[in-house]
Amino acid sequence: MQPNINVVSLVSVGRHPQSGRARRAEQDGQAVELGLKLAGKALTVVHAGNAQEPVLRQYAGMGLPSLTVLAQESNCDALPVLVSFLKDKPIDVVLTGVRAESGESSGMLPYLLAEQLGWSLVPRVADIIGVQGDEVELLLALPRGQRRAVKVKLPIIASVDNAAQEARQTAFGPGLRAQFNVLTVESVVDESASRWQINAAKPRPKRLKVVKAKTAADRMKAATAKPMGSGGKIMKDETAAEKAQAIFDLLLEEKVVR
Amino acid sequence: MSHFSSEDSSLDSLLRRDPRTEWIARNRLHPLHSAVASTGQGEVRGPSGLLRRNPHVIGFIGPNGIKRIDRENLSSAGLNSKKRTDEAKQTQLPLQIVENPDGYIMVVADMIGGRLTSHDKDILGLAHQLVAESNRNTVVVLVCFGESKETQFDLAGVDRLIHLTADEFEGFAPEARVAALMQVEVQYQPERWLFPDSVHGGTDLACRLAAKLGERPVAQAWQVTASTTVSRGASSSQDILRETPRILMLMEECANAIEETRHQVLPMFVDGIEQTPPNLVDQGLIAVDANAVPLAEAEFILSAGNGIHNWDQFHATALALGATEGASRVAVDDGFMPRARQVGASGTWVTARVYLAVGISGAIQHMQGIGQCDKVVAINTDVGCDMVKRADLAVIADSEEVLAELSRLAEEYSSPKKRLSINEETKNQEEKSDAA
Amino acid sequence: MMLDWLPPTLIGVLLVIAAIGAVRRMNLWRAGQAEKVDALAGLLAMPKRYLHDLHHVVERDKYMSRTHVATGGGFVLAMVLVVFVHLFGIDSKVLAWALLAALVMMFCGALFVYKRRMNPPSRLSKGPWMRLPKSLLTFSITFFVLTLPAAGLPIVGKLPEGFGGWLLTLVLSVLILMSLSEMLFGMTWGGPMKHAFAGALHLAFHRRPERFDGGRSTGLKPAVLGEASHGVAKPIDFKWNQLLGFDACVQCGRCEAVCPAFAAGQPLNPKKLIQDMVVGFAGGTDEKYAGSPYPNIEVGNAKGAPNQIITDGLIHPDTLWSCTTCRACVEECPMMIEHVDAIVDMRRFLTLEKGDTPNKGAQVLENIIATDNPNGYAPASRTHWAADQNLNLMKDVRQADVLFWVSDGAFDMRSQRILRAFVKLMKAANVDVAILGDEELDSGDVARRLGDDATFQSLAKRNLATLSKYQFNKIVTTDPHAFHCLKNEYGDFGSDGLLSISGESVVVLHHTTFLNQLVKDGRLQLDTFKGGKVTYHDPCYLGRYNGEYEAPRELLATLGIDVAEMERSGYRSRCCGGGGGAPITDIPGERRIADMRMEDVVSTGAELVAVGCQQCTAMLEGVVEPRPVVKDIAEILAGQLIEEKH
Repeated sequence: MQPNINVVSLVSVGRHPQSGRARRAEQDGQAVELGLKLAGKALTVVHAGNAQEPVLRQYAGMGLPSLTVLAQESNCDALPVLVSFLKDKPIDVVLTGVRAESGESSGMLPYLLAEQLGWSLVPRVADIIGVQGDEVELLLALPRGQRRAVKVKLPIIASVDNAAQEARQTAFGPGLRAQFNVLTVESVVDESASRWQINAAKPRPKRLKVVKAKTAADRMKAATAKPMGSGGKIMKDETAAEKAQAIFDLLLEEKVVR
Repeated sequence: MSHFSSEDSSLDSLLRRDPRTEWIARNRLHPLHSAVASTGQGEVRGPSGLLRRNPHVIGFIGPNGIKRIDRENLSSAGLNSKKRTDEAKQTQLPLQIVENPDGYIMVVADMIGGRLTSHDKDILGLAHQLVAESNRNTVVVLVCFGESKETQFDLAGVDRLIHLTADEFEGFAPEARVAALMQVEVQYQPERWLFPDSVHGGTDLACRLAAKLGERPVAQAWQVTASTTVSRGASSSQDILRETPRILMLMEECANAIEETRHQVLPMFVDGIEQTPPNLVDQGLIAVDANAVPLAEAEFILSAGNGIHNWDQFHATALALGATEGASRVAVDDGFMPRARQVGASGTWVTARVYLAVGISGAIQHMQGIGQCDKVVAINTDVGCDMVKRADLAVIADSEEVLAELSRLAEEYSSPKKRLSINEETKNQEEKSDAA
Repeated sequence: MMLDWLPPTLIGVLLVIAAIGAVRRMNLWRAGQAEKVDALAGLLAMPKRYLHDLHHVVERDKYMSRTHVATGGGFVLAMVLVVFVHLFGIDSKVLAWALLAALVMMFCGALFVYKRRMNPPSRLSKGPWMRLPKSLLTFSITFFVLTLPAAGLPIVGKLPEGFGGWLLTLVLSVLILMSLSEMLFGMTWGGPMKHAFAGALHLAFHRRPERFDGGRSTGLKPAVLGEASHGVAKPIDFKWNQLLGFDACVQCGRCEAVCPAFAAGQPLNPKKLIQDMVVGFAGGTDEKYAGSPYPNIEVGNAKGAPNQIITDGLIHPDTLWSCTTCRACVEECPMMIEHVDAIVDMRRFLTLEKGDTPNKGAQVLENIIATDNPNGYAPASRTHWAADQNLNLMKDVRQADVLFWVSDGAFDMRSQRILRAFVKLMKAANVDVAILGDEELDSGDVARRLGDDATFQSLAKRNLATLSKYQFNKIVTTDPHAFHCLKNEYGDFGSDGLLSISGESVVVLHHTTFLNQLVKDGRLQLDTFKGGKVTYHDPCYLGRYNGEYEAPRELLATLGIDVAEMERSGYRSRCCGGGGGAPITDIPGERRIADMRMEDVVSTGAELVAVGCQQCTAMLEGVVEPRPVVKDIAEILAGQLIEEKH
């Protein structure tokens, strides 16, 4: 459907939020999905890391005939090997997730790639509308389902938002049979990351409502008052108009109607 | 160094005594005594302003002739609420003045709709924490782009303000904005750059700036001191502790907003921002209808169940209210709504702030699915159903009438004249509450 | 008598053509995949399988079974004798009389076939099947007349000489041609009589010989993983004896009559599915099909070939995903065809190769892979339901009499009520019980029915590895689906290796069976049930899959409940619509299966429907109120439990 453009999707090892198990990362899966939409079977999918990782088969199961792995240890920086892989190749679009589900999850990788390769970066893409000549038109995902259209010159690096087309189902058979092109690369250990202390996430304290009352009586009242609404107000005998007004007031108060 | 100037207008906050009412309250033989005592419920202030409790007026005589004491004070609301609002007007907070600063902390705000978000305010609060820690004469500088409607920069902790309003920053212009930030960097060499880690552009700007400066930033930081930072990593499953870098992307509630002081909000200027024509060309917002918003993300869901008979009306109401449509399993099974709209354990788990359930009695799977909703409103004919029990506001009525009224209200509201007046009202309220 | 040679020649020629057809047909079957069968034993057992097992199924319809015995028996006998008397010309009065008798019997049977075909029920196929009774009658009359001389009957002993005799022989020959081409040519070249030939061989080479002699074989066969393709994509990917089985179909439509998806107007008709399979491996289109179509899908557009992908033009995937795997069709099929195996085989291709499980299927499978439960709950929250139950964990006790397999009901608030009720009963009976806690994983039932055998096998192996760490005598579960997997399907992955404390093999029980034992042993004191009328819904995976119809009814009887049986109950119970991943794939129909089942319940006048499955509970409770109350048997028992006062 598109004029011949070269698309690369970068994939990483995700982490299931409930079980913590390795999985196909959601946004990376969507990056592959968008890549397949743009380039079909000609899509190049690249992973920097362990070539034996079983999760890669889940990406391959989306119907990829092959997958390129830049083999390196998990403590290495993905950036330099990706830069040297992408540099000087006739690539038009590189798709990544917004933030990795494992590791630092800083979301810097696409920005650093764009900076080092000198390409444009488009954040949080929901869809790619089309390519005309050396220009591509994209839809950006904004909060609450809003969209913004943007035009940009190729080549670009785009991070794919959760709002993009969901990744297709991964099939066991094709995943099993996909070819892995494992490239040996010169990788660099991420030194500064090795100095970090990493612990399991502590639950963040919920912010308390601090009551600034002048008198003890007011503070007591604030501390013992029931939170509004939790009582559950029931309107039974009012007219329909009054009932609707009460609902509408609540909607206004919550600022969902604007 | 900073010092405070306090112009306490404490006159406003003085208690106004009404000797006559107090006298009536004390005099049990006064004809108006019972009226005063019942509104007051013993909340009588003594001469020193202390609360005085009159044991004689506490409670009431129950039906069996025994005195009952209402310890939860459920029936008192009236008397001193008035006093409270009077109090709220008051107090000019102390102004914190910083002259000749020797360092800057830059806070780049999202400013959604031209106002500081609570996220922005938290970060300003954090900036002041860092200033306090550093013990140097550093100022907190707010950098914001585009039109500003914010009137209370001073109360949010803005010592200096860089307000960039040129056309090239309007809309989606990350490249122009980063160019401006680069110039700020050159001109002021800030100690730190603080950004909200948000989808409203904060993260994007921070990453662009960090990439340009070649500095490693920290994302999703939530515990920050001058020396160390704890941030979330690996999709929020890990805490990473490291040295505090110069560029930080901060999570919401990373610190408390400024509440006790006012700040100067002196303007600062940036000259000679080098603008190159941007690669990214904004084509503007695309109209999206509420139903295109994924159900799980939707903020406001109007959900239909078995009690809906007029489906056209339901869809029209959802449109008028700008709500995303949801449905119970039964409504989906009966073919009135597509499966993707099903809310519940076997459908979509929703996170709406307001969930308006029309004609849904609340099967257990459905209640599981709306567990994370803040406010639940139910319209139902059955008082005893689970949805009504769960609801913050329940309306016992036929759905058709109430929906008709709701559409009418929504249409009236969106007609411009009315809207203006209501807007003004809410604005006033907001200001009041902000002042408090 | 210049044409005397004609009838024997015709018979001979037709027999030869039939033989050619038979070889051709067998070659079609042989295009399927290899499958080991004990051919000799099967062939030897075939008559018994036919007379006993098959007849047992046919016997459910008395009219048809007698008709078939007369017609089929008469024909087989007659055909053998015809070969001796007319083809080989053996001159024996005894044989001729026997032949006459067989023909009379066949004639009587054929009359009944004819009568039934006058106003056939909708489930029967029409088309060529409508002419079958006529062919049968013709056959019996023709050969009756032809055999009279051989029997030496005086009245018609002499054929008229000359033109008359010539004419009569000619007429008889034409009739022979007509009837025999139906009976012999049709048998091997694809006419209605094909069922006799293919059916007999199908019985001999059946893929599940355990089903004969009253046995039961319901577990799905494991998929071989790691080959060039998975599941059945093309007709030739079926095992050869599965293809043979499809050919055995008599198009009686009993499957269609019991299929819940068909009744609900979903695009599935088991009979048409089997016929489409035949179209597939024989090549051609379905335009000759003369039975009920898939609801809302026109007949005549499906094309198939042995090497063509089935879902490309022969069958719409929705047809395959409509099946609830309730096994009602298999239970009802007089030819013992395995519809469910075929459907799951084809689903395996769609899921494992095409990655095309509809609706929530993909998400559910992804959840199972990542969290070991279909809804993606945190694996660490699996035991939260039991926080107040004070249950032993196997991890701590290592050994217990009963291992309570909780199943994924642990995550569902409604199912938790059933689990708690069952725990209460076990505690009242002082059962030495432990659960696996968070070590338990999904049984793999849903994954397997959705065609993801890779995930099923991984779960089965990991579950078995966990189970083999501990010692116990019984596994008891409240979930018939898990029960079926543990009992019938884990065997392929080494569950036979599990040994109880005393070294015997471990028993897997459904909670109703187990509770029934407890009640019989006097370990539970139960009060009489004083509610209203009660009916019982047989879960497919408990009843048809595992043959447990009695224990739940006995339990209800001990409460003094006289079960008001539904018309469709026991082995004919109608599915609730919750099996086989059907609620997940959610293929639209005109009605909901659960609603139809609830109508069955309502028609008994019951106020309470007892079930033995959390999935059935969820499906039946999903029916809009007012409706009878739905309760698991454990819940009913727990409500009537007389607890000892201390």
